[in-house]
Amino acid sequence: MSDRELLPTATGRRTAAAVGELLRPRRLLAFSAFGVLTAATGVGLLTAPLLGHIVDLVDEGSTDFTVPVVLLVVVALARGAGNAWGLALVSRLGESMLASLRERFIERALSQPLERVELAGSGDLTSRVTNDVAVIAKSVREALPELGRSALTIVLTLGGLALLDWRFLLAALLAAPIQLYTVRWYVRRAIPLYAHQRVRDGAQQQQLLDTVGGARTVRAFRLTDEHVERVRGRSQTVVDVTMRAVRLMTRFFSRLNLAEFVGLSAILVAGFVLVGNGTATIGTATAAALYFHSLFNPINAALALVDDAQSAAASLARLVGVADLPTEREPEQAGVPVDASVKAAAVSHAYVTGHDVLRDVDLDIAPEERVALVGASGAGKTTLAKLIAGIHRPTSGSLALGGVALDDLGHAGTRRTVALISQEVHVFAGTLAEDLRLAKPDATDEELRAALAKVGALPWVDALPDGLSTMVGEGAHRLTVTQSQQLALVRLVLADPPIAILDEATAEAGSAGAKVLEKAAAKALEGRTGLVVAHRLTQAAAADRIVVLDAGKVVETGTHDDLVAANGRYAALWAAWSDQRTR
Amino acid sequence: MLPTGRSILRDAVSGQRRLLARAAFLGSVHQGGEALVPVIVGLVIDQAVSTGSVGALLRWIVVLAVVFGALSMSYRFAARAAERASEQAAHGLRMRLAQRVLDPRGGAEAGRLPGALVNIATGDAKRVGVVNTVLPFAVAGFVGLLVSAVSLLRISVPLGLLVLLGTPPLLWLTHLVGKPLERRSSVEQERAAHASGVAADLVSGLRVLKGIGAEAAAVARYRRTSQDSLAATLRAARAHAGHDGAILALTGIFIAVVALVGAHLAANGSITVGELVAAVGLAQFLLGPFQIFAWVNGQLAQGRASAERVASVLAAPPAVTSGSGAPSGNCPGRLSLRGVTHGSLDSLDLDVEPGELLGVVAPDPAAASHLLDCLGREADPAAGTVELDGVAYTELDPHELRGAVLVAAHDADLFDGSLLDNVVTAGRDVDRALTASAADEVARTLPEGVHTLVAERGRSLSGGQRQRVALARALAADPPVLVVHDPTTAVDAVTEARIAGELREIRQGRTTVLVTTSPALLAVTDRVVVLDGGAVGAQGTHAELVHANPGYRSAVLS
Repeated sequence: MSDRELLPTATGRRTAAAVGELLRPRRLLAFSAFGVLTAATGVGLLTAPLLGHIVDLVDEGSTDFTVPVVLLVVVALARGAGNAWGLALVSRLGESMLASLRERFIERALSQPLERVELAGSGDLTSRVTNDVAVIAKSVREALPELGRSALTIVLTLGGLALLDWRFLLAALLAAPIQLYTVRWYVRRAIPLYAHQRVRDGAQQQQLLDTVGGARTVRAFRLTDEHVERVRGRSQTVVDVTMRAVRLMTRFFSRLNLAEFVGLSAILVAGFVLVGNGTATIGTATAAALYFHSLFNPINAALALVDDAQSAAASLARLVGVADLPTEREPEQAGVPVDASVKAAAVSHAYVTGHDVLRDVDLDIAPEERVALVGASGAGKTTLAKLIAGIHRPTSGSLALGGVALDDLGHAGTRRTVALISQEVHVFAGTLAEDLRLAKPDATDEELRAALAKVGALPWVDALPDGLSTMVGEGAHRLTVTQSQQLALVRLVLADPPIAILDEATAEAGSAGAKVLEKAAAKALEGRTGLVVAHRLTQAAAADRIVVLDAGKVVETGTHDDLVAANGRYAALWAAWSDQRTR
Repeated sequence: MLPTGRSILRDAVSGQRRLLARAAFLGSVHQGGEALVPVIVGLVIDQAVSTGSVGALLRWIVVLAVVFGALSMSYRFAARAAERASEQAAHGLRMRLAQRVLDPRGGAEAGRLPGALVNIATGDAKRVGVVNTVLPFAVAGFVGLLVSAVSLLRISVPLGLLVLLGTPPLLWLTHLVGKPLERRSSVEQERAAHASGVAADLVSGLRVLKGIGAEAAAVARYRRTSQDSLAATLRAARAHAGHDGAILALTGIFIAVVALVGAHLAANGSITVGELVAAVGLAQFLLGPFQIFAWVNGQLAQGRASAERVASVLAAPPAVTSGSGAPSGNCPGRLSLRGVTHGSLDSLDLDVEPGELLGVVAPDPAAASHLLDCLGREADPAAGTVELDGVAYTELDPHELRGAVLVAAHDADLFDGSLLDNVVTAGRDVDRALTASAADEVARTLPEGVHTLVAERGRSLSGGQRQRVALARALAADPPVLVVHDPTTAVDAVTEARIAGELREIRQGRTTVLVTTSPALLAVTDRVVVLDGGAVGAQGTHAELVHANPGYRSAVLS
């Protein structure tokens, strides 16, 4: 999709600054989380020297181990409690930052002009709000505490080694170059590979949805073998890519094993030398070896999280990019519509320069008039509807609602004045009442029921298992397409704008559903100026006036009877419907 | 024999037994190696550091190198074998599921949403496969346990027994501490996941929100959900942190006890200092295998539950029985239904003559879809027979039957690929079909014409565009009998009129049934049959019915 203009992604610097902004109001929390975890980790590090001390006591021939053993128990308790507290604080910090970010993201995303979102493809926004948020949430939940704890353990352990004798630290650091090299080697390969793996997983998922969702069509057209092969291809690719990732990961750990061996041997040799020349006791050498052995897991854990951290940073940049988008500008002095009229004068529009979709369209709609738009696909009906609804701005010409130009009305004013019910059917997940209250947040149950009754939806809503409280939408009670579209009309009644535009009934509603919806639409439009993109001519016939569009131009306009009498395009269409001719 | 959860799991494991055996062997070498590391550290302390013998130091460093090399390589190849076994088993299950769902006799989709079936083919198949990853680790963990037990007992029987007998109660204790926390945490986590669902939902309904100016209400609603979810997540995180802390504290205390006992044994000379070091290291190491067992247990439980779900799809009864016959090569295309009772159809008698273009008007949408089910053999009627050219449907193989009778459903799905790929599917005269269905106009408005990719099962096209491409596909297949259901509900009136004329032209001489209430389509049919109460009510030409039948008029013209 080369012609897609994706939504912005923040730069690395801006992403870091955004994290800083989120962190600033939570400074205190951040410091205490860090402090508690450091203290807990530090306490935990006393285990090895205490064990070393016991070894020394044995070496000296002592038999009283009460003090070090009691201390070991105290250390264990303090370490456990401190870790629990510290981890809880870290989670609170990360999670509340994530919550702030995702809220700002949604706020900005929903306030973007639809034109901008459509330019990027709706998938861009959806994938950010699902995949990217999930990646970050996973990092915050799993990687962040793990990484924090491991990093602290590593730093403090190395400090501990230095305290025992600086030469132990030197020995341990012999492993570091191998580890650094290994991580660089790994990250360079892992990031593209895992990205590739995600793409392949998505492709497999898509293929299965295609095949399983379309099983009936596959059977009807006898495409079974082809589809089984398609699934096999996608699934085999996933297996292959996964195995490549596994091979990479196992090689990564092998190299880390080498680092472990080098570090451990170096420490043992250092202990040998230091004990030999009398600068260290056997207990110290033991403690050093135990220290290093206990570093194996934290080091491996921290290094393995590097690619998680990288992908979380990439996702974060994509969230910040959207959260930083400016909101729509409102005019300083918003105009107030005087009535519910619509006036389009010499409106032309082109999505691509040179390809006019609408040419010099003039259209006046009186308050409470009902106008039907008729025309072939591509005649410009939907474009005209979107222009009047303020979704797109016309390339040339002027549009006014209630005597106020769209620009002077501002976005908020436009939304209050005109509603567009498109062919897109969406039932919002949650209870039915919550769905409807999106249109009017303070509506009482009675108001909801009245609106439902108006479009004839109340009978089936009352028949739902929990009435208005029934959970609907994705993963809950599934409404039919007709019911979903009826809900869109109920929302229109609740939002109660003076002007409403209805664009094409859905394909899925079927002809029986179409009739139900036509009746519902007529009720919902009562008392409003209505512009209806008519699919069924019966809908046009019922309108006050019909406008026939062809190739972006208005070619006929008048009442149903006028146009039938005029014997033009509309008359020919109508004849095909009601006609006595059989051919 | 019908597959059960148990048999699915057994097949998944036994199908990969070579890989599993390799993984288990190598994994055991790895665990054994890991157990030996602290032992060798103890030996270095005893035989080199405390004696000052360079020879001993070098000898043991070499041994350490060998052990590291062995444990590293064995882990590498064990993990690969186990993962491959897991992936291959999952792949096998996915293929079996795809084949079952697409079986000509149908029935696997009954009562399941496509999303749920896809989840079974991906998530559940994967979880069954994962059993193959964990089994070798279970074996290896057991070997690791054995090695450290032997080492410990060789150092000192009382100390060994203390560690070996102390570890299980310790783990049981942590399990006891953790269980209520974990349970709470999973409930909270589910609630936390809700926020991301709501966000995605709002974004996918963006056009609807914008259309009615509900953005502010939606943002407010999301903010509430997000805050609720944050509170739930934090409760879960606290529970989790508490669990982690408890485990740390308990293991620390355990190590202290081992150190105490070991120190006394070392003090009275029963063990050396190095052996004390090794014992403490082994006590730490031992927690590993036991944790592996707990993890394996959890994965196995998940694998069993997933295997049940996979089995329930594979064992789903077919929707129709299969005959063995095939329709004759040059099939004239006569359909006759006798006393068909199915859903809202009630003793329906209907004949479609060869070459006829028949319109069927079903004011009750359920009757239309039940008729389509019977004609396309998605279901066998409870009573009555359907015959093609005098041969009962039940005597025919459903796959063969569909070669002669194509039922193009109203909500026909398009597939991934170009517009042309979709139409070419079974097609002969593709250009003619594209023109007849006005899909050529669709292609002209798309960036790359007929080669434009159709994404998201056709959702990248508008409803009307999708319908026209689906109709083109059905026309291109050019079957002896074509049944089409409401093919133009989302197509504008101008184009619909054009399609109606073309449809009659292209299906000339072949049997066609149009199930619709569109007057533009009905006007071109030879004969129209109105279904009333599940049986044939009025019939005649469209014009006759429009004039003479007020019920018909209101059904198709209002």
